[in-house]
Amino acid sequence: MGKWNCEETMAVGQYTSDLEPGDVLGPVEYTLSPFVVREYCHAVELHQDCFQQAKGAVMPPTLIHLDKLRLYRHACPKGTGPHARVHIEYDATFHEAVPVGARLRVGGKVSERIEKRGRTYVYIDMELRAAEDDRLLISYRDTVTLSYRETKA
Amino acid sequence: MTPATLKVGSELRTAPREMTRERMRWYVDAQPTVAHDDGRIHTQEPTIHDDDGIIADGMISTNWIMGLLLDTFGTDFLHKGKLRTKYIAPIYEDQVVISRARVTAIEQAGDTTTYRMEVWCEDDTAKKLTVGEAVAYTKA
Repeated sequence: MGKWNCEETMAVGQYTSDLEPGDVLGPVEYTLSPFVVREYCHAVELHQDCFQQAKGAVMPPTLIHLDKLRLYRHACPKGTGPHARVHIEYDATFHEAVPVGARLRVGGKVSERIEKRGRTYVYIDMELRAAEDDRLLISYRDTVTLSYRETKA
Repeated sequence: MTPATLKVGSELRTAPREMTRERMRWYVDAQPTVAHDDGRIHTQEPTIHDDDGIIADGMISTNWIMGLLLDTFGTDFLHKGKLRTKYIAPIYEDQVVISRARVTAIEQAGDTTTYRMEVWCEDDTAKKLTVGEAVAYTKA
């Protein structure tokens, strides 16, 4: 798929805390259900018709963040590991609206893992594509920090 | 406000919302509900907290900014657009959150107008909690 294919999958760690640059997550295929879109949108108070209607509904592009958790479950079956993980940045480009009912393929690759001011930052570049023709729908960069502690002033 | 009325410097804002425990809970539970996708609501324990209490997941503020942009640009924003948000301060239980956007540039090319915006969420003391940028496109 797209930039990454199964053949280049590396020895991904069993825990998300183990992820290293170059590790490939997925790809994973799934069908976008109306239930998922409606429940997610209810949870975040996106009450616009385009997410709730019975026909022609689309996915909120923010939902790709939960595709990261889908990739974590696939690539890191033992879970979070010893370090708590906190999401600190969402960075997405929307190339096309994603229709409810579509067969989708999501994959990601760890692009960086760096230490900064005592914290570990992990960056994952992800792509959501149409399974039928590999069309790029959303590209996304996710940033998390490990061992998060709020610094008091 | 509609895209046609926007100018460089125009500002968009939502009404203030309190980050109640219920709102945090809705997002926490959405995660296993989406993962299982079995028609049932699932629940899980909140995991983000510090010494001052539980902290809202940053994606809630991202989605509130998304809602502000959707209410202005409509579904055009879902067909082509960009949104980046960074969580620079924790949002605690019952903290007031206002989502805002300010137009920083408007570019015309053919039949497409590009709107570049600074976006953020702030509390009721104007302390910024989430910051970022967005790009929206409209066609004549």
